[in-house]
Amino acid sequence: MLEARIVKRRRPFAVEVELRLERGGRLGLFGASGAGKSTVLSCIAGLEQPDEGEVRFGGQRLYPPNLPLHRRPLAYLTQNDLLFPHLTVGENVCFGLGNGDREAAQAWVGELSERLGLAALWNERAREVSGGQARRVALARMLARRPPLVLLDEPFGALDLPTLNDLADAILQWQRKLGFTMVAVDHRAEILGRLCEQGAVIESGHIIQQGAWPDLVRSPATELTARLLGA
Amino acid sequence: MRSVWLGRAALLVFTLALLYPLAGLFAPVGAWQWDGGVHGSTAAAVRVSLSLTGLAMLIDIVVGTPVALYLARHAGRDRMVWEAAILVSILMPPLALGILLSLAFGPQNSFGAWLLRLGVLTSNSALAFTATQVYVSIGYYIVAARAALAAVPFDLERIAALLGLDPWQVFRRVTFPLARLGLAAAFSLAWVRALGEFGAVLVTAYYPSGMPVQIWVNLQDAGMPAVMPLLVIFILTALPLPWVFHLLAQTRSANA
Repeated sequence: MLEARIVKRRRPFAVEVELRLERGGRLGLFGASGAGKSTVLSCIAGLEQPDEGEVRFGGQRLYPPNLPLHRRPLAYLTQNDLLFPHLTVGENVCFGLGNGDREAAQAWVGELSERLGLAALWNERAREVSGGQARRVALARMLARRPPLVLLDEPFGALDLPTLNDLADAILQWQRKLGFTMVAVDHRAEILGRLCEQGAVIESGHIIQQGAWPDLVRSPATELTARLLGA
Repeated sequence: MRSVWLGRAALLVFTLALLYPLAGLFAPVGAWQWDGGVHGSTAAAVRVSLSLTGLAMLIDIVVGTPVALYLARHAGRDRMVWEAAILVSILMPPLALGILLSLAFGPQNSFGAWLLRLGVLTSNSALAFTATQVYVSIGYYIVAARAALAAVPFDLERIAALLGLDPWQVFRRVTFPLARLGLAAAFSLAWVRALGEFGAVLVTAYYPSGMPVQIWVNLQDAGMPAVMPLLVIFILTALPLPWVFHLLAQTRSANA
């Protein structure tokens, strides 16, 4: 189970959020740009440190004290692809696998590569691939380690609709297969509705509504949420 | 088109003027004398310069790289204080630095006297030579290395850490490969600065003589014919390394 109580003081408002998500659950954090969604995700990932609160996952305390990034049992897909430009696509995908893990993970990495269409790019320099391809590489790199907790920060950026649909299908397929817990953040309701079974709406740093995703869409708590949901 | 040719011509004149001093290598100074009247002195000076400058560079890298990394990754006010302190070593006139080092570590003060009691010779020794070279070069290394390391996106390092790499692995697999040309340039700068140091070393370590001091001694004792061979070796050992790294960096930015 993921349990997070996060207080992060920042301008123009403090982010104060409490979340609980069962192991294997899929939660979408929804809200306008600047509402504090990415701050919550960053605090869970450890990229930012909360001012107060507690973050636990699977019985392990991530904060406080702040567990070093390399010991966190999670994977994080950032808004930008952030591939390692000096490495090939294949080296990027296998980056987080230790030497011992590589042979064991060969079939799994092969599956990721096949499904995401990376085989033909395997030996290309990462700096030479297109934006859509980079997103696929980043996704494969994130999943190669079979993380128990996956954090997605605006996972599809400005991708075209067919690519977006394809990647969303792939994520759901692997979520069912690996059973990882997933928290996704986006300001586009249709993306979160597609990826997540549960949702939480953030406005000005506070969760104002949460529940099953269809219920959120049916009865938004505020006018702003209704407008963002397009209800 | 005409302006392009004019620009090229002006650049050619400038470059010729810049390189003209090299013509001095062909000046009729008489038959070159290899040892300036002291048998084996040229070889000894080359040996001292290369080995002790190599040691100084090792110290620059081991001590300077973590400092540069700290400065590149911390944005607090204290960073400005550290940078200002490092600039002091760069801006200090070499001769003044040599005199200050000599006074600060010399046997006339209690610290120097204590070191001497321990058997540590703080002037006219290999230690004095190396320490002086470190003092004159490490500031240059740190400033240039900081710029190279700061150019590596911090987010890439954090992504690497989230993929399970500890800080040393992140440095080895991400930071260093992406900053290596800049670090090489920093190394070259420090190398040239240390190898060519004359003023400070003249005060702290007249013996064992490195190449710059030996060139000066040869000039005083035996004139230009005794200077020329050592001068050629000096240029050949100082120049190629930074030159190659500069060309590599240019090639890389042209390909980027």
